[in-house]
Amino acid sequence: MILTLRLGSVVAFLLVWEWAARVPVSFNFPSPLATLLALIALVRSGALPAATVTSLGSLLLGFGAAVIVGVPLGLLMGTVPPLGRLTRVYLDLLIALPTAALVPLVILSVGINVVSSAVIVFAFSAPFVTMNAYGGVREVRPRLVEMARAFDATWGQLFARIVLPSALPMILAGIRYGLSRAFVGLVVAELLLSPFGLGRLIMASRSMFEHDRMFATVLWTLLLAAAALALLGRLETRWLRWRT
Amino acid sequence: MADVMTAELAPIDRGVPSPSVGIAVESVSKAFGTVTALADVTVRVAAGEFVTLIGPSGCGKTTLLKIIAGLVLPDGGRVLVDGRPVTGPRRECSLVFQDFALLPWATVQRNVEFGLLLRGARAGERAAIARRYVTKVGLAGFEDAYPAQLSGGMQQRVGLARALAVDPRVLLMDEPFASIDEQTRRLFQDDLLALWSEERKTVVFVTHSMEEAIYLSDRVVVLSPRPGRVHRVLDVPLPRPREATDVRATVEFTRLVDNLWKILRKLQ
Repeated sequence: MILTLRLGSVVAFLLVWEWAARVPVSFNFPSPLATLLALIALVRSGALPAATVTSLGSLLLGFGAAVIVGVPLGLLMGTVPPLGRLTRVYLDLLIALPTAALVPLVILSVGINVVSSAVIVFAFSAPFVTMNAYGGVREVRPRLVEMARAFDATWGQLFARIVLPSALPMILAGIRYGLSRAFVGLVVAELLLSPFGLGRLIMASRSMFEHDRMFATVLWTLLLAAAALALLGRLETRWLRWRT
Repeated sequence: MADVMTAELAPIDRGVPSPSVGIAVESVSKAFGTVTALADVTVRVAAGEFVTLIGPSGCGKTTLLKIIAGLVLPDGGRVLVDGRPVTGPRRECSLVFQDFALLPWATVQRNVEFGLLLRGARAGERAAIARRYVTKVGLAGFEDAYPAQLSGGMQQRVGLARALAVDPRVLLMDEPFASIDEQTRRLFQDDLLALWSEERKTVVFVTHSMEEAIYLSDRVVVLSPRPGRVHRVLDVPLPRPREATDVRATVEFTRLVDNLWKILRKLQ
């Protein structure tokens, strides 16, 4: 039933797209078929795989750093309440901030290279990863801490056996949300910085009026993000089996 | 294990302080801010004895239990377990909680292993001991279930198995059956008594239920509220094993419950 609905929605989407291309709703609007052909051509020419490797490099660098820094920072903020109260204000500001506005600042300080994309990816995702880890610690049931203390648990045992597993669902949700933010950051960075990866491919095709190639690259980026999120979702259900 | 057993099988010498005393609460007082929770409370529990704390809400019975467990430190007085003063949580005591306090992410087996894990027992030993206690509390076959898949009564059986698995000398139970339905509770009470006569732990049991207090205990300590003081200590001379006979139907049982109610009614 669900599968039929999902398939139906994809078909409906393609039909609307085909209609939009035939009207056409705008100048040189590519049809689904043209986009697919452009996608195949881009893959075969090696342009898309190369751009993907470059982009995923920035993504992994920036998002990996966001997880490696954000999760421990959030956990620390949660377990040391004064630190949490102090840091929380800045975190709230970072989350409210239109992160794209940071791009010129990053270019000024890091220059235009693969690292600057990674820095922007980091800035997009790290606040959310951190905030969720912080929130996760605050989810810990005081009763479980009491129970472990009654068993004479050490501080390290309390952290590893009670705090971490209690916070895990929220940490994982934060990582998943952080990853979708990381993709946004990646494309924003590459669109504004231009000379790298998928963003460059999108900009280059746009300037050459190769809208089918542009659409193909956007579609490809979307598929990458969906695949990465689905992978994380699977890991989540596996690690959080107890919740079902 | 063997030496522990002999210590706990020492004859019960009620009321008279002796070196074999399991727990001695001596002039304990505790205040939370301006509220005095406990004032000059003295209770002695002999090794292997089953003592129940009962009293109106706010009489500090849970606080007293936590002080014995070493989770809360008293402002005045002291608690001795096996003759040594309690300064923090210790290995002799295990707690059973009203809300079970199970790890939701761990299976029954892992939950029962938890105390052993914290104490550094090896994996094989942990698994063997835990499996034995899972069976003892009647949950054989549920080792791989998660707490959320179990009824309240079964979850508390896990809590009891976890507490017993570390081989404590004292079992502290904080209203363990309060959130369990009546039929399940009665069955569980009988199972607890059977386990108790087998393991011979010293038990301090907190409850709101007068029938439960009389049915389970050797002695019932009635605490008065605000501040909590020892109001009365009642002996329960009902013969054991009670779980094997129909003690609840006897005139003596009814009389004891009624007597307890008369004492508690004046305290409300």
